[in-house]
Amino acid sequence: MWALDQPYAPRADHLLADTPLALLAALAVGAGTAAVLVELAVLPPHVSRVAGVTAAHGALLATALAWARVSAASPVIAVALIGLAAAVSQLGVLGSLAYLGPALWVGFLSARGRLTSLGLGTPVSLGRVAAGVLVGTGLSGHLLVSASRTLGVHIRVDHAAEALAAIAYDVGANVLAGECFFRGALFNRAERRWSFAAASTVATSAYLLRYLVDPLLPKSVELMIGAVFYLALLGAMNCWLLSSSGSLVPGLVSASIFFAAYRTLGVR
Amino acid sequence: MRLVAAALVAVTALIALEDSGPASLLRHAYLVPVLAAALRFGAVGGGLAAAAAMLLSAPVVLPEIERSGLTTEAIEGLVTFAVLGLVGVLSGVLRGRLGRHRRRYEILVTIQRTLADEAPLDLSLARLRAALADRLRVDEIALVACDGERLAVAGGARVADRSLVARVLATGEPVFVSDAGARGRARRAFATPLMSRGRAVGVLAVERTGEISVGERVALEAVGAHVGVALENARLVSCQRRFAAELEERVTAARRELEELDRAKSAFVAIASHELRTPLTALQGFSEILALRRLPPEEVTRLAEVMRREARRLGRIVSDLLDLSRIERGLEPALCRVPLEIEPTIEATVDLFRQGTATHLITTECEPSLPLVAADPDALERVLTNLISNAIKYSPTGSSVRVGARALAGAVAIEVADAGRGIPTEALQRVFEPYYRVPDAAGVAHGTGIGLAVVKALVEAHGGTVRVDSTPTIGTRVTVVLPAPSGPFLDTPRRSRVG
Repeated sequence: MWALDQPYAPRADHLLADTPLALLAALAVGAGTAAVLVELAVLPPHVSRVAGVTAAHGALLATALAWARVSAASPVIAVALIGLAAAVSQLGVLGSLAYLGPALWVGFLSARGRLTSLGLGTPVSLGRVAAGVLVGTGLSGHLLVSASRTLGVHIRVDHAAEALAAIAYDVGANVLAGECFFRGALFNRAERRWSFAAASTVATSAYLLRYLVDPLLPKSVELMIGAVFYLALLGAMNCWLLSSSGSLVPGLVSASIFFAAYRTLGVR
Repeated sequence: MRLVAAALVAVTALIALEDSGPASLLRHAYLVPVLAAALRFGAVGGGLAAAAAMLLSAPVVLPEIERSGLTTEAIEGLVTFAVLGLVGVLSGVLRGRLGRHRRRYEILVTIQRTLADEAPLDLSLARLRAALADRLRVDEIALVACDGERLAVAGGARVADRSLVARVLATGEPVFVSDAGARGRARRAFATPLMSRGRAVGVLAVERTGEISVGERVALEAVGAHVGVALENARLVSCQRRFAAELEERVTAARRELEELDRAKSAFVAIASHELRTPLTALQGFSEILALRRLPPEEVTRLAEVMRREARRLGRIVSDLLDLSRIERGLEPALCRVPLEIEPTIEATVDLFRQGTATHLITTECEPSLPLVAADPDALERVLTNLISNAIKYSPTGSSVRVGARALAGAVAIEVADAGRGIPTEALQRVFEPYYRVPDAAGVAHGTGIGLAVVKALVEAHGGTVRVDSTPTIGTRVTVVLPAPSGPFLDTPRRSRVG
């Protein structure tokens, strides 16, 4: 028993320890420079989007990997792969398959047991994965029904390629980076300091903030309220899934299903 | 849970079929599964069921708001949301509080029942740990209690230095650790002191993968305090019972001893009467002969010698009785110590026995130039007389009795050894007790059972020691060691009274 056998020392490190500040600063500078150059029409507009995606998701994933204390190169590689995928995806729908790169890199690190502190590469029961499926499906179902009934947003079948590209983006960047950072890293660390309620509130609030400041989120009040509603539920439930299973996989599954459902809607 | 979900779905289906909008009366039916979930699963269950009910009814309520704004029907729907949420959460909270109170009461009863049995501390702790593990719903539990200098541990092998339990034991303050070092799921640890009379007498430590809420920690502190008091009470009861048992044992032993003493005294009275009567009879008989008959001078001398010997014997017995009386009153024998040469005293005493008995060969072996001892001559003579008399009485006719003296550092050792039947090992411890006689000794020789007690008292009054070594069938040796002080006492001899 730990309380009898192991030496006890009050926690000394702070919540944001091991943050790769230099890398984050570089990403911020890169994204800012790209935005200025695009604004000055020196660079084409899509460069700004590539830089933004790279900076936002790269920062989240790199921070998560750095907090997991993998090698110093791993966060840089993850950022590079996200940047490459963002750039290649501009070439066409098939280019979006490049988003599998970051996912494969994270999968590789997980398989080598380097990301157990994020809840990746740890054993997970099928029941918990099924719970993740249930959460994702339930929220997706509600989203599709309420969106169509209240907002008049319907499922579109005429943009399958675009939806598939978006799903690839979610799997390789949006969901992957979000879950790795907000749940695997932030919630996990917070829960080791505070109660589940406090930790999930912190992680979910940060998760909501990240989407509310996302320039890709349509700026209509209804959609923003809907985003807060669903993302708060998704975030809180994924915190519970991680806390109860010890694995990030159920949360990745539920978020992937939810965002896949979201992509089927013709939201502009 | 499945029933709750089915009921929620059923209510939603009925509302959808009725199609009467957010103000449908059927919406109140949501209260049934929400209440059921709250009563079954607590606040979380009630809240989740209420949230599920809101989600399911949102497609009915929200479009109404979208279409017509906050109409009366829409407001009714929103109020229903609020009521469901309140009912679900509040009912769950109350149910949870009730459950906690019940569990706490059950735990207290469990503690009392477990510690009510008188059992060794380690066993009590193990039982209590098993009982608490069932009730507290934790992954790991350990109980540590101070048992003098030792720590009794249930739930582990030992308490490591600098561990959480060691810290709580040292500070007497509860400590909550939100991260007990496990990979994967967060593991909490909480350790609280077992308090008794304001000090930590042990520690209750629990670990759980998941939450240990503030309420649970407060409850655990109360349990710790209760266990501490219960353990202390159990310890006191155990002490009291042990003390009572010990007291009873001592009283029984004392009663047995008194009974034995009583028997010994009765026997002594009989023996002493006989011992006194024998010389008296001799004195009476011979004195009558001397008074009534005209005898030749040599016969008169012989009879006078017998009468003198018997009178001496009588005097010795009376002296022993007087000394014994002083010993029993807690007084030391009266002594008049002077510097004394041992060898002449031994020779004089042995001569008396040589004249009186021809049955044994009595030899003396004294080292030359023995130092002087500070002793009362009369007392020393009585000591020697008792020892030699015993040696003669308990050794076969024709055997030899050896009386010797040798110098030790600052002392002189006098030894009286015989080749008699010896003394059984189990009786050696008791030979100096007043009235005690070695079993079956009575059949061998007469005696009062006070001789060696008097010897011991006299020797110890001199500041000396006496020891008996005996081997059954081989013989017995009694060694008396008397101090031989050097310096002014011996340079300027004077008489001193001790006791």
